[in-house]
Amino acid sequence: MGVFFVTSCSDEFLEVKPRGLDLESTYYKNRDEAYNGLIAVYDVVGFMSSGLITKVGAVNSASDDHYAGGGGPTDVNDFQVWSNYTLSPDVGPQEALWAKGYQGIFRANALLSKLPDVPMSEAEKARFIAEAKVLRAYFYFDLVRLFKNIVLSTAPITPNEMYSVTQSPPSAVYEQIEKDLIEAIPNLPNKVSGAEAARLTAGAANALLGKVYLYQEKFGDAATTLAKVNGPDPGQENPTYGYALLENYGDLFLTSNEFNKESIFEISYTNESAGNWGCSSCSDGNILGVMAGPRGFSINAGFEGEVPAYVSGWSFFSITPGLADAMEGDPRYPHTIADIGRWKEEGKVNYTPGYMDTGYFLDKFAAKQHDRWGGAGDADLNYPHNIYEIRLADTYLMEAEALVRGGGNTTRAQQLLDAVRARVGLDPVPATFDNIFNERRLELAGEGHRWFDLVRTGRAAEALAFKGFQAGKHEILPIPLLELENTALQQSKEYGGSL
Amino acid sequence: MKESLLQRKRLIQCFLLLLLTATWGQALAQSRSVTGTVTDGANGDALPGVSIVVRGTSTGTISDANGQFSIQVSSDEDVLVLSFVGYTKAEIPVAGKTNITIALTPDVTTLEELVVVGYGEQKKSVVTGAISSVKADDIAGQPISRVEQAIQGRTSGVIVAQNSGQPGSSATIRVRGITTLNGNDPLWVVDGVVVDNGGIGYINSSDIESIEVLKDASSQAIYGARAATGVILITTKKGKAGRMAVDYTGFYGTSAPARRLDLLNATQYATLRNEASVAGGGGIVYPDPQSFGKGTDWQDHIFNNDARRQNHELSLSGGNDKSTFYTSFGYLDQEGIVASEISNYNRVNVRLNSTHKIAKWLTFGQNLGYARTKSVGLGNTNSEFGGPLSSAINLDPITPVVETDPIKASGAPYNEAGVLRNADGYPFGISSAVGQEITNPLAYIQTRKGNYSWAHDIVGNAFAEVKPIEGLVLRSTIGTKIAFWGSESFTPQYYLNSSTKTSQNNFNRSQNQVMNWTIENTIAYTRSFNDLHAATLLLGQGAYVDDNTRATNVTYFNLPVDNFDDASMNYAIPTTDINANGGEGQLHKVSSLFARLNYDYDERYILTAIIRRDGSSRFGSNNRYGYFPSFSAGWNVTRENFWPQNDVVNFLKIRGGYGVVGNDNIGNFSYLATIGGGRNYTIGNLGGYANGFSPNAPPNPDLKWESTSQANVGFEATFLEDFSITFDWFNKKTYDILQYPRIPAYIGAISNPAANVADMQNKGVEVDLGYRRKFGELEFSVNANVSKIKNEVTSLGNGVEFLSGGQSFQASSYPITRTAVGQPFNSFFGFRTLGIFQTQAEIDNYVNPEGDPIQPNAQPGDFKWADIDGNGNIDGDDRTFIGNPFPEWTFGVTINMSYKGFDFMMLGQGVAGNQIFQGLRRLDVSNANWQSDALGRWTGPGTSDDYPRISTQDPNNNFTNPSDFYLEDGDYFRIKVMQLGYTLPQSISGKVGMSRARIYLMAENLLTFTKYTGFDPEIGGGVMSIDRGIYPQARSILIGVNVGF
Repeated sequence: MGVFFVTSCSDEFLEVKPRGLDLESTYYKNRDEAYNGLIAVYDVVGFMSSGLITKVGAVNSASDDHYAGGGGPTDVNDFQVWSNYTLSPDVGPQEALWAKGYQGIFRANALLSKLPDVPMSEAEKARFIAEAKVLRAYFYFDLVRLFKNIVLSTAPITPNEMYSVTQSPPSAVYEQIEKDLIEAIPNLPNKVSGAEAARLTAGAANALLGKVYLYQEKFGDAATTLAKVNGPDPGQENPTYGYALLENYGDLFLTSNEFNKESIFEISYTNESAGNWGCSSCSDGNILGVMAGPRGFSINAGFEGEVPAYVSGWSFFSITPGLADAMEGDPRYPHTIADIGRWKEEGKVNYTPGYMDTGYFLDKFAAKQHDRWGGAGDADLNYPHNIYEIRLADTYLMEAEALVRGGGNTTRAQQLLDAVRARVGLDPVPATFDNIFNERRLELAGEGHRWFDLVRTGRAAEALAFKGFQAGKHEILPIPLLELENTALQQSKEYGGSL
Repeated sequence: MKESLLQRKRLIQCFLLLLLTATWGQALAQSRSVTGTVTDGANGDALPGVSIVVRGTSTGTISDANGQFSIQVSSDEDVLVLSFVGYTKAEIPVAGKTNITIALTPDVTTLEELVVVGYGEQKKSVVTGAISSVKADDIAGQPISRVEQAIQGRTSGVIVAQNSGQPGSSATIRVRGITTLNGNDPLWVVDGVVVDNGGIGYINSSDIESIEVLKDASSQAIYGARAATGVILITTKKGKAGRMAVDYTGFYGTSAPARRLDLLNATQYATLRNEASVAGGGGIVYPDPQSFGKGTDWQDHIFNNDARRQNHELSLSGGNDKSTFYTSFGYLDQEGIVASEISNYNRVNVRLNSTHKIAKWLTFGQNLGYARTKSVGLGNTNSEFGGPLSSAINLDPITPVVETDPIKASGAPYNEAGVLRNADGYPFGISSAVGQEITNPLAYIQTRKGNYSWAHDIVGNAFAEVKPIEGLVLRSTIGTKIAFWGSESFTPQYYLNSSTKTSQNNFNRSQNQVMNWTIENTIAYTRSFNDLHAATLLLGQGAYVDDNTRATNVTYFNLPVDNFDDASMNYAIPTTDINANGGEGQLHKVSSLFARLNYDYDERYILTAIIRRDGSSRFGSNNRYGYFPSFSAGWNVTRENFWPQNDVVNFLKIRGGYGVVGNDNIGNFSYLATIGGGRNYTIGNLGGYANGFSPNAPPNPDLKWESTSQANVGFEATFLEDFSITFDWFNKKTYDILQYPRIPAYIGAISNPAANVADMQNKGVEVDLGYRRKFGELEFSVNANVSKIKNEVTSLGNGVEFLSGGQSFQASSYPITRTAVGQPFNSFFGFRTLGIFQTQAEIDNYVNPEGDPIQPNAQPGDFKWADIDGNGNIDGDDRTFIGNPFPEWTFGVTINMSYKGFDFMMLGQGVAGNQIFQGLRRLDVSNANWQSDALGRWTGPGTSDDYPRISTQDPNNNFTNPSDFYLEDGDYFRIKVMQLGYTLPQSISGKVGMSRARIYLMAENLLTFTKYTGFDPEIGGGVMSIDRGIYPQARSILIGVNVGF
């Protein structure tokens, strides 16, 4: 009968071939697929949440050098509440920053679990493994310094253990970070360029490792490791990695000058990913360009060319008078601070003051007209300029700090500090911790280091008192509320928890 | 590709083979012919279309337009069986006669009525499941733009709530409540073809012969795997043998909003803003509020009080004893009442149904419907993030519609590139007080002019039916849904305000297509013994393929034009200005075997047993097949010999059933770990970016069917001749609900894995009441239904008390709903207010056991929050369940009256027992306009105990906390349709060759009784009753004509 016949057709009938969809069980079958997996880990380095949260945007808002700014008191509210220290376990940037870290770690762990079986050249495989480990270390380092009490896993978490994992002590996390970096360094190239300019090098891994040591106040290890990055002669090109300070400070922030000799670990963006508001977080452009720009900006007739042609933006990260005062007269001022308030008073420009307006804007990020993308996608989401995660002036100052605080070679510390100042034509000052610390603020202003520096040195409570920072609480972010629901995780004691 | 072709070929082979197995001929007996006439026993009119069958054979015919027939009989002992819907069946012995006149008696009860039950029909008297029917007569000539409206108020146990008043928009339908946490839309089956919920809008309501809603498991089980959320069967009209009938129905009219919000005028607004600013530590914003007068009433500018609407339907039907046909054309054109220029709907329908009797034992036929729709939508129809409605509510009344002051119009911000202007060249006003997505709605309209979406839907089937021997019917059906849909939109460069602007124009075209198909083969064998036992066995097999979609989407940026009409993809532009993407749906396949046994003893004791086995491509090989059994029984008490003949209870049937149905509504390949792309990074400095891929979510190889069991007990009765009642009680339990439960972010997956996580229960009762009486020439009938339902989530998995997330609302950090164990699905969740602190002393006295103030930051005029967790302060743990968005009660009533040529009908429907979240005001736009209840705000001790003080600072979170402050009762009763008609006497209409001529006047949504303060209490959606500025339903006044030839 017909029915009988048809039944025999049905088992085969139910086998459906996926259309354009790869399965994890059959993926990672060659070098190219492994490389795609590696790119996915790098992707998280440039992370932006759908609510426009980026690491640098968030820590800038939290620091004493910036207010969150924006269009109003709740504009990108997660920045606002960190800026004025009213954040709580349910409101703040913690959810996005937590998700960022673990997305990177998940992708790194997945790749690391697959790589041993991928048929490809062993040398290249070793490099992929090393890159994945450095990236994992990088994500863990951000998580542990932002949250302190975090989940540590070096393999994908299986469905069975999903709800039972617990937090690890920070020391265990730091141990894993160091281990990953130390294992990775021998398998990374010393130099990269061109089509792979944004890939990690041994120099970048050493710089990160040195920074990790410094955060743990392992000053000896920090100085030794950072010295490898900085080279034997401060101020001269490092023969191993090719690093050298750029001659002209302003050149650091030109879109045309990306991946320069001073760049160690650079976060890379493009204007060609056609990012649009349908999925803002999918864009591979740099949101900081429009966020930092002055609101309703226009140059008055006759003054074109006299002031930079900023793109009209959203007035985030307005610079505090504290930083502006500290930088008064510093040669780096014009490359750091756009004095738009003053230009308006002088009748050169017009702009609409945003929330917590000071008249000072962050020139390093505020996009200029020539960087504005006119192609497919929304211009606001497609600024191409890169930002530095670590650059040589930073590692110079970190090594100098490690030497001074750890009782090391003070001559070299002085040389390192002098080199940073000499590049912008400033006279030497004694290499004391305070001077080095102040130099970090001025040299690296707006680049996302200040809040971390204040916290790790115990200076946050004083410097951030004017914003409502409470010692013993605001040194870390709360564990996001959603992470505590139905899980074994505990809130940090700073936020009323038990850890 | 090759494989699937092969599979399809094989299935077609299967189909043909089945036909062949049935084509064994049969011997023809010697015979003679009998002729006759069938008339209506009540008025003597000829009855066309009556089925006449020689008892015990498959020989049959149908009476023609004059009620006449001719049929072959083999002997004088033969008996003719005459049957026709609405008349009592008659059995007439031939007894040597060659010409017979037979008068059929109209059936006063509806028990002989046929009910479509899936793969067949049953007499209503022997149906054992809970099925609600809507018949063609119930909806004839009514203002039904979409089929969902035909069910609303007319069926018990079914909630229908419009998702928007936008013409052509779909409705949310829930059959016996919320069955599951994922898709709760019912399965639509049109003439045996499964049509997805979103696509059902293609059908023209006047083509519908009947709609059956299968509500309990014993009726649903025949659709096994996809029946859990209810099945709605639509049967389209068929032609009847006899005279050709031509019918035209059309109406034309106008629509207007039924209600407007009471918003502050410019003076009131300025006054409140001054007050808010001063309270927040700022200064006076507007020194002279009176100078603004009334300002702009934005509602005046978006609402259309004369939105036109027309509908025309023309049908032709007829046929002879070999072939019958029904063909129809429909045309509908409707303007929306909000920004009509960018809100309207147009549909053209064609239907071709026909049946051909090729031989006595072989029938072929097809049912085919086509619709072309063009809809122009204004975008956000229930969204706080912009769109004309939200903007009209929130925009300040001080901003002018257009800026006519030449000095202002040439200064900032009107000098920005992209500022839009009206026909006279004046720029549309841009608010200096309210920003973000809230923009001048008239300017917003300019950014969408000309944009539309379109669809072509073709749904149909072709079938062959073979009756090789008496009682045996083999039927094969191939069904398909083919649809093409897409949109065209041009967005000009615009500047609506400093944050809503774009510097590039773009022109987007999307095109999609789908071809889903179905093959079903059934064998039914009916046999009766001793005229007492009757049994039908149905065996069936089906194969279903859907989600067979293709999509292409292209956007051109920076075209050298500034409006939709000039936009073209013929312009040569740089490839960097072109963005294109596309995709294909993952095929979803279901393969099924099913069997049903119906048995009755003298129509007294009735049994139905069903089993269906479904295989779904959505599960791994270990859980691929699901078995769905059901059993039901009925007892027609009044057919018992012991039941005394009486005039009180004329009919009583008690019935009950139990069954299990399934649901595979989860994404394809969810049981596997898949790799996702788009995780790209700019890895070099040579331009462009590299593509990244990584796993999406951990796999769940044990993913299995979600199942819903349901017990149903009920009775149907007719008493005192005129009254009828149907009662049902049910208990429905859903297990292993398929979901993508949120996993902790520390897992790091970008999406959540599928899992069988939850259990849910729905209990309820449904009552349908009818009364029908003729008082002289006045005919009167009332049908009413009322249903009560209680939903409860009974489990969310081991140790999980509630699902993370919930419905988000504006920028509020708390979701406003929560799905938790022991509560109804997505209940409203938030803070509870305990009035307003009138004085500082009240704040100081609101202390915890330690004597510390619970709300130390509060000021007089702030809400007093309930300290639910009793920990002495107010935080997220003080939220609780504050309301239910899903109505507890639904009810409907239909009244019909006719007197001589006049007829009147009224349909009313409503719900009760739910709350609505009235979230119309933007909380994060502090200068947004207020509704007039803000005039009753707290301004000093004793001034208000329910509306807090107004301030730009809100440290007590009076407004930002989701709370019972935003909840209102959602009860309403609505006069949905009211119609008054007059039919011309046949003596007049007959003169111009018409068999019927009727004119009628009708009103839709004439009156709504509710305490709700928003536009409209009827708010559909995945979670109902959240008002973000819903597009309200229109009130329409229509005049119509109905003529037949």
